[in-house]
Amino acid sequence: MEEAKRNKFPLSKGAALFVAMLASSISHGDLFDSGKVLATGGVSMIDGAGGGGITPWATITGYATKEGINGDLHYTYAPLANYTLHSVGAAVGFWDRFELSYTSSSLTTGSTFDTVGLVTDTLGGATGSLAGTPINTGIEPFNTTIDMEVIGAKVRVFGEAIYDSDNLIPQVAIGAFYKNNKNEDLLKTLKADKAKDWEAYISATKIFFPINTLINVTARYTAANQTGLVGFGGPGGSDKEIRPEVSIAYLLRKDTVIGMEWAKHGDNLEGESVEVAGLDLTSLQPTLETLGLSAVAGTLTQHESDWYDIFVAFFPNKNLSITMAYAMLGNITITPDQHGFYMSLQASF
Amino acid sequence: MKQLFRTIAITFMLSVAASPSFSQTGKTETYPPIDSDALEQFGGPEGVRNWVESLFYYIMLDNRINHVFREFGNIERQIYLNTQLLQLVLGGNEVEYQGASMAAAHADLGITLTQFNAVVEAAYNACERIQLTYEACNLMIAGLAPYKHAIVTR
Repeated sequence: MEEAKRNKFPLSKGAALFVAMLASSISHGDLFDSGKVLATGGVSMIDGAGGGGITPWATITGYATKEGINGDLHYTYAPLANYTLHSVGAAVGFWDRFELSYTSSSLTTGSTFDTVGLVTDTLGGATGSLAGTPINTGIEPFNTTIDMEVIGAKVRVFGEAIYDSDNLIPQVAIGAFYKNNKNEDLLKTLKADKAKDWEAYISATKIFFPINTLINVTARYTAANQTGLVGFGGPGGSDKEIRPEVSIAYLLRKDTVIGMEWAKHGDNLEGESVEVAGLDLTSLQPTLETLGLSAVAGTLTQHESDWYDIFVAFFPNKNLSITMAYAMLGNITITPDQHGFYMSLQASF
Repeated sequence: MKQLFRTIAITFMLSVAASPSFSQTGKTETYPPIDSDALEQFGGPEGVRNWVESLFYYIMLDNRINHVFREFGNIERQIYLNTQLLQLVLGGNEVEYQGASMAAAHADLGITLTQFNAVVEAAYNACERIQLTYEACNLMIAGLAPYKHAIVTR
């Protein structure tokens, strides 16, 4: 019994050991470092990497310089019109060179899929059958949730974002995420090709002190739909493409930054309907009409918009940052106008 | 494609070679350039003197770095030299910097990036102390930032 338990969680045990080792080295005071200037560690983006709100930057998370290790815990809350995103995780920066991150995201979909869930439930239950075909839409009649795990790594390749004010070479980092979306059934219903996938990015970041401005440009190589929350790829496969992302931040004070971001999104599921048991739900029109839901079928077409946000980040000290943003995420699956406030907390140790 | 990489490599090497554009005199070229009225924004030579004095006030109160500056000895002389240097950096060309070169002055001190950053934090505190705007303060940070290469030796 004890043996079985031990074999079941080798990863978490390894992680615990790693944390314990880290904690013991920190207690020795050799490795721990918080020598960066306030705010220069950036905040945590929703995938967990150091950066802005939706875009990873070339900066390494935490306040460690090349002399040590530092990291953070982060939590992001974004209540949108039809969805609520909770994202919680941890990240560690090593010698201002290398970064590891883990984030668990949970997207509660509110009433978005309730109708679909109700219809399939009425027709044969969430795991029932339609005309002899088993249905598993991954959609509950109420409050369907999409969970996703994101593991990230980033390496600073060259450049110095802060102090090289006498040249135009930015700090450049390359990184990758491995994303594991847990609601495979729902992704099938939404016609995404994959539930698990990786993405890679290259970021260039530079602060221009004479104009108090930070500029970051990122190219992300990905097939993600809504960062992976709606899976990867679509009916046309899951070939990756390069999508640009830009952050511009204005340094208002040494502890306050305002700015805006843009992230290009894909069109893998553009114009696709919701699919239930191999049937487009639009073809269920007669059934829906019988159920008095004729208006529903027409609204079940998916779209995806680029993401935008405007933000203000406040750094009261090196242990805490608070980011408030207004996120404009546009169409998410079958619901338009997903705009709303966004709050992100980062605690650094 | 090969041509492109070569062009990128050459551009990169050229800009790296050109990067220590400040000389013994302490003049720095930044991108974008420092405002032409930077010295005025600082309150002229007197404002610069005030800033350097409050910089040393914060440095000598910071246990992470005060011992380094005490090893230099003669804080008054350091304040004098730094005032000269900063006037140069901010564009007061009539001043001739009487200090040793940055690299020579800091070579033996083994200054870490963490210690350098502590001085930057003291610099921002000094700006606030003399009621300087954050924007003017960043002109000075831009002008002094490239000295990191010469000062941080560890």
